[in-house]
Amino acid sequence: MAKDVRIGFDVGGTFTDGVMLRGKEVLAKAKALTTDDVTTGIINALDVLLKTKKAEVSEISLVSLGTTHTTNAIIERKNLNKVGIFRLGAPATTAIPPLTGWPEDLKAAIGGIDNIFIIRGGKEYDGRDIVPLDEEAIRSACRKIKGKVDSIAITGVFSPMIPDQEERAAEIIREELGDIPITLSNHIASISLLERENSTILNASVITVMRKAVEALKKAAKERGIEAPLFIVQNDGTVMSADYAVNYPIFTVASGPAASVRGAVYLSGIDNGVVVDIGGTSTDVAYIVNGFPRESSITVTIGGVKTNIRCPDLMSIALGGGTIVKTKGNEVIAHGPESVGYNLVKLGKSFGGPIITTHDIAVAKGILDKKLDIFDTDFAPHIDKVKALDKDLVEAAYNIIKNTLEVAVDQMKTVAGNVKAIFVGGGALVVPRENLEGISEVVMPPHFEVCGAIGTTIAEIGAYAEGVADLEIEDRDDAINKVIEKAKDEAEKAGAIRDTVEVLDVEEIPFAYMPGKREKIRIRVKGKIFE
Amino acid sequence: MSKKVFETLEKWGIKNYKIIDKQAVKEITLGASILATGGGGDPEIGLLWAYKVLDEGKIVVMVDPMDIPDDILVASPACLGAPVVLTEKPPSYDVLNNAIRKLEQYWGKKLGATIPIECGGVNSTVAYAAAGEFEVPVIDVDGMNRAFPELQMTSWVTNGVNASPTVSCDDRGNVTVIDTGDDNKMAENIARRVAMAYGGISWIATYPMTGKQVKEASILNSQSIAWELGKAVYRAREKHLDPVKEMLDSLKATRNVTGMKVFKGKIVDISREFGGESTKGFSLGRIKMDGLDEYKGSVAEIDFQNEWLVLRIDGKIRCLPPDLIAIVDSETGEPIRTDIMKYGYRGSIILIPAHERMRTPKGIQLFGPGYFGYDMDYVPVEELNKEVAK
Repeated sequence: MAKDVRIGFDVGGTFTDGVMLRGKEVLAKAKALTTDDVTTGIINALDVLLKTKKAEVSEISLVSLGTTHTTNAIIERKNLNKVGIFRLGAPATTAIPPLTGWPEDLKAAIGGIDNIFIIRGGKEYDGRDIVPLDEEAIRSACRKIKGKVDSIAITGVFSPMIPDQEERAAEIIREELGDIPITLSNHIASISLLERENSTILNASVITVMRKAVEALKKAAKERGIEAPLFIVQNDGTVMSADYAVNYPIFTVASGPAASVRGAVYLSGIDNGVVVDIGGTSTDVAYIVNGFPRESSITVTIGGVKTNIRCPDLMSIALGGGTIVKTKGNEVIAHGPESVGYNLVKLGKSFGGPIITTHDIAVAKGILDKKLDIFDTDFAPHIDKVKALDKDLVEAAYNIIKNTLEVAVDQMKTVAGNVKAIFVGGGALVVPRENLEGISEVVMPPHFEVCGAIGTTIAEIGAYAEGVADLEIEDRDDAINKVIEKAKDEAEKAGAIRDTVEVLDVEEIPFAYMPGKREKIRIRVKGKIFE
Repeated sequence: MSKKVFETLEKWGIKNYKIIDKQAVKEITLGASILATGGGGDPEIGLLWAYKVLDEGKIVVMVDPMDIPDDILVASPACLGAPVVLTEKPPSYDVLNNAIRKLEQYWGKKLGATIPIECGGVNSTVAYAAAGEFEVPVIDVDGMNRAFPELQMTSWVTNGVNASPTVSCDDRGNVTVIDTGDDNKMAENIARRVAMAYGGISWIATYPMTGKQVKEASILNSQSIAWELGKAVYRAREKHLDPVKEMLDSLKATRNVTGMKVFKGKIVDISREFGGESTKGFSLGRIKMDGLDEYKGSVAEIDFQNEWLVLRIDGKIRCLPPDLIAIVDSETGEPIRTDIMKYGYRGSIILIPAHERMRTPKGIQLFGPGYFGYDMDYVPVEELNKEVAK
């Protein structure tokens, strides 16, 4: 029997979606309530899929998921590691120590400020030491935190360009503390010390959360007779092997929206355009550039902490099926931001409830006229209640919703002109799709309602590497090739077959305001899991 | 915890002062970013430093310039260099301490108080952090009541106070004293090159002056103007009011400054002149905004050189430097900077007249339209917008 069935999950705030595919054929879809621990919800969705008997467990070749384990742990300050924090940068940088500006409860949850050490060291932009690395200070710090921390975060000044000191510091810490998870900032993010340090510390804080999730899911799969590797979606929409993900959990914080963009590309065949993912309480708008989500150029705040990890450039607006239309008589006062969420089926007019929602306006306008098979309930069991709504009120609400959508799509543009839009998500039918300003065409591919889950099964490994070259000394092509090899190494570690790895983009960033011909090279690659 | 700053206030006979807490720093920083005219860069590092100083229980107090003794030494602590290096290599307390102490040595007097050099960016807030660290008051003034890209572009220079001696330091303990007499442009040139030699960033103690000179040459109460602006925006956010209206009303009511809203629209085109950064040290270009709501059908164009410089609406000049142009988000009141603006950004354009001390003939020569390469005479923003102002 061929091993050619893929299973994917997309964990959302309310529901966890699951799909089972053979090639491009969708064999089964599932929806389970997302649970507090996230893992149980995924296993429930898995069981629904398996119960359909559309494929044998022995046919399953891959299990992949976009998950919120990491984000939830940080936001709820739950089960976080105590982190030993090393910054290599004194005598510079000391005016603003690590964790400055962090919310107090999050600071406490990762062990507080007692485990912070600003070590003499760090680099200048041109490769000079600020001062030589103080190795003895690292050893003495290790003796202080031995047994008190679960993981280590190391951040050196200018390490994204010259990583040697971070690597040396990690070596010393391993000698002193043995086998402890260590996150180096040059693996996590780019220039901007405080934001990179924040990203690095957050990564170190959720390593155990990710490891436990991966262990639980592997165990559940094994118990069900599934013998297939497990993959996790990362922020650019590619995947990494679960074992690799354990060391880089922070790369999964935007895995849901990223998977949804990749799914939209996969289902529609559109490589450049906008993806509008409509849920029960909110809508995410993201742009596709050459098949991948466009990256955000600004800082991303996670759990109240500013970070500079690479994430999809995403705009979330309060527009979903359950978003409340506020009225006074027959006049619309406002649309949202409140939503009835999954209580739509109790509270919405279409379901005999008292509240007018986006869903009800769509039913009244006739743009929502069928039940999607992932939902248990019919879309409007009390259609008479909707029919009784005032025509002008419906029209006014419809126009407000249409305008909200148009403004969001426009604000995310980087140039003027119309774009193709792919509407996906469980709420895709509740929003206007005709005559939208700034949109040339709305595409709704088959299975749009489980687009995110499908996006997780595309099975492409992504990786990147960075390096610095001085073009006055080095040949440009040699310098670039060196970084490409480094990126391929990373892709292989993340689960790709080396021969299949291809370069996605080459970025060269000259150092502004600097003498000489130094530049930073950044390479992004993708590779396949299967031959 | 010594409360040395209160002993100083008592010695000076000052009974009225303002305690600057975290909320105040936040409000002043936001207000200063609005006054920064699109420039100044990200204020984050200065803000975090001030937070840390306050978290340690240190005291920051702000005093009125007219209350300080005439003979004290006042100076401006600031950062000068490449912004990207600053974000990767934040300062230490020691580097600024070193700059101040060396300046005291050169001048022969202890530092009495700090003054912010500009509104906006890291330098706006560093004066507060330094005041806390050195246990001296910060004075309610600055040198431009906006942001400008070069050291010599201040009301202090237009009113006869020089940047020299300026002490420039790095984290390794290197110290450079720049003394160019009254050639302030030369002080800027040297300071910029020293920063490069240090590794891209320098920390300076500059514009040493007496209390008397502070009164005669500064933009008085500019910190209060920033504070009122910041307070207005936070109030608007909390009570869901129109932030632009709150800002303008508050400026008029509390500081008798007449600002005006002249446009609302969205950015539809950004043209940057590439190479500008390396050749002139400026980021140059022009944006175009299409009008929204009551401005539908109108087009605004703004030229920028680090800061917003010249505004035209439907082809007519509406604002020239040194008068202030701010573009703020119509919903949140957050100002948009020239380094982070994007296509599709929606905002209102607010104009604020520059202080009289910036509009002297010497001021117009130093930072009027001509200095930025415009062959046109300066006309005050009130003249250019008579119909809006009335």
